[in-house]
Amino acid sequence: MEPILKFDNVSKHYPNGVHALKEVSFELCEGEFVSVIGPSGSGKSTLLRAINRLIPISGGTVWLDGQAVSALRGRNLRQLRRKVGMIFQNYNLVYSLSVLQNVLHGRLGYMNGVKGVFGLSSEDDKQEGLDLLEELGLADFAYNRASDLSGGQKQRVGIAPAIMQGPKLLLCDEPIASLDPSSAKTIMDLLRDMTQKRNIACIVNLHQLDVALKYSTRIIGLSKGEIVFDGRPEEMDDATIERIYGTSRENLMIGGERNDQTDSAHCA
Amino acid sequence: MNVNTMEYSATAKARPVSGKKPSIPVKCRQRNRFIPAFLIGVAVLSVLSLLYLEIDWLKMASRVGDIGLVFWDLAHLDFSNMDLIASSLVETISIAVLSLLYSLLLGIFFGMLAARNVFRLPWLSVLTQSFFTFLRAVPTPVWVLLMLVCLGMGPEAGVAGLCVHTTAFFTKSFAQSFESIPDETIEALEVTGASRLSIFMNAVLPAALSQIVAWAGMRLETNFSECAILGMVGAGGIGYVISNSLQGYDYGTAGVAILLVFLVAYGIERVFVRIKKKFY
Repeated sequence: MEPILKFDNVSKHYPNGVHALKEVSFELCEGEFVSVIGPSGSGKSTLLRAINRLIPISGGTVWLDGQAVSALRGRNLRQLRRKVGMIFQNYNLVYSLSVLQNVLHGRLGYMNGVKGVFGLSSEDDKQEGLDLLEELGLADFAYNRASDLSGGQKQRVGIAPAIMQGPKLLLCDEPIASLDPSSAKTIMDLLRDMTQKRNIACIVNLHQLDVALKYSTRIIGLSKGEIVFDGRPEEMDDATIERIYGTSRENLMIGGERNDQTDSAHCA
Repeated sequence: MNVNTMEYSATAKARPVSGKKPSIPVKCRQRNRFIPAFLIGVAVLSVLSLLYLEIDWLKMASRVGDIGLVFWDLAHLDFSNMDLIASSLVETISIAVLSLLYSLLLGIFFGMLAARNVFRLPWLSVLTQSFFTFLRAVPTPVWVLLMLVCLGMGPEAGVAGLCVHTTAFFTKSFAQSFESIPDETIEALEVTGASRLSIFMNAVLPAALSQIVAWAGMRLETNFSECAILGMVGAGGIGYVISNSLQGYDYGTAGVAILLVFLVAYGIERVFVRIKKKFY
């Protein structure tokens, strides 16, 4: 199967001397649900933002759907970006607008000229937006201001524009980092189900190892800008975890059932 | 006992020992030296200004009584010229509203060019900002006088002159409002493949709208009071009535006009306070 995304020796140096990515290479195919884990500053965000050129890379090539991302400018770059939806930790909605208006922002890349500038959506797009809100369980909130929603609801709205783009790839930058455990589960379930149903490849940056193990088909472990693990969740062992986080397992708050035993042992 | 003496010696070290109960210091150990220097500077400048202007204090003191007299005359409101006052007041309000409306549209446009985060072209922002800084440095009455020369006497010159300064003001304040929109919000639309102009119209402008309303309310108030002054240089409106009747010692008419200016300005403020509350 032709890979959707291909990193070919990608490097990124920031002007302040930080090497965020060091010759990173991997491929991603349709239908994969990949979690990227690693400590803060390991290059997770840079990796994600290199894909749609929110951050320009310094070396190597990012291939997206057969096109080299770093070579694109202006209109061509915007057209490529439509194929990649993105979900953020802080939802990044426009809070003074209605929920539906925020959802329809996902179509702006397809609207030309005056229509795009004034946000005049077609009736089809509006209907699709309403259907999507129904699927997310937010049909009643379509005409509420985005600022009126709770954190979990805001993140559910945050998924909608990315899906509206009709993407081939979905990037999620720590989507559950600001959410309570129950909302976090809702969001992860939605991400898995919606991407599976639409056959969208998905990359999720995560701090929660237990979530990564539970949901992903594949895990990439980053440490200091290098891939130190790339495999299936079952292959993840304590030695690998130590390699990724640079400290032994007892010093990590991992959560989930696997950790309960050690936690109670510490209490006693 | 031992502890007590130690405590006493510790506190005594901080301030001189005397018979009276010593006061406990409250200020920071490291004082800011800028403030005393600033106060001394202000004092020196005041003395120099007084010397330069050669103010005749005796003459001023002898005329202080007249202030009360003039206000007493102004308080004898004379409503006989009410039709003239009313029509010029409406004219003043119209000038203020029109100049506000045009400046709002121009200010949003130029504010968009001046904000660094909309088109991400530093040279465009710097160019727009510096051009409008120049326009802002020249006060409104000077712009109105210039427009009077260009367009002739009348309200058109008032509108045009006010517009220049108001647009310059809006450009700066709107650009600041646009720049205060979080970069992540813009990023979220960038990834959809939307163009810069479409990002501005669909995300930046709606997010900044409540701030724009607040600026507009403040500026309408300012423009209205400035309009009252502008009448005196010949741009029509209630200022012309005030200056004319004052010069003709018709204090009653001037009193009514001044009172109305105050009432309208106060009304505008109240209305915008309410609008702002609804917006949040």
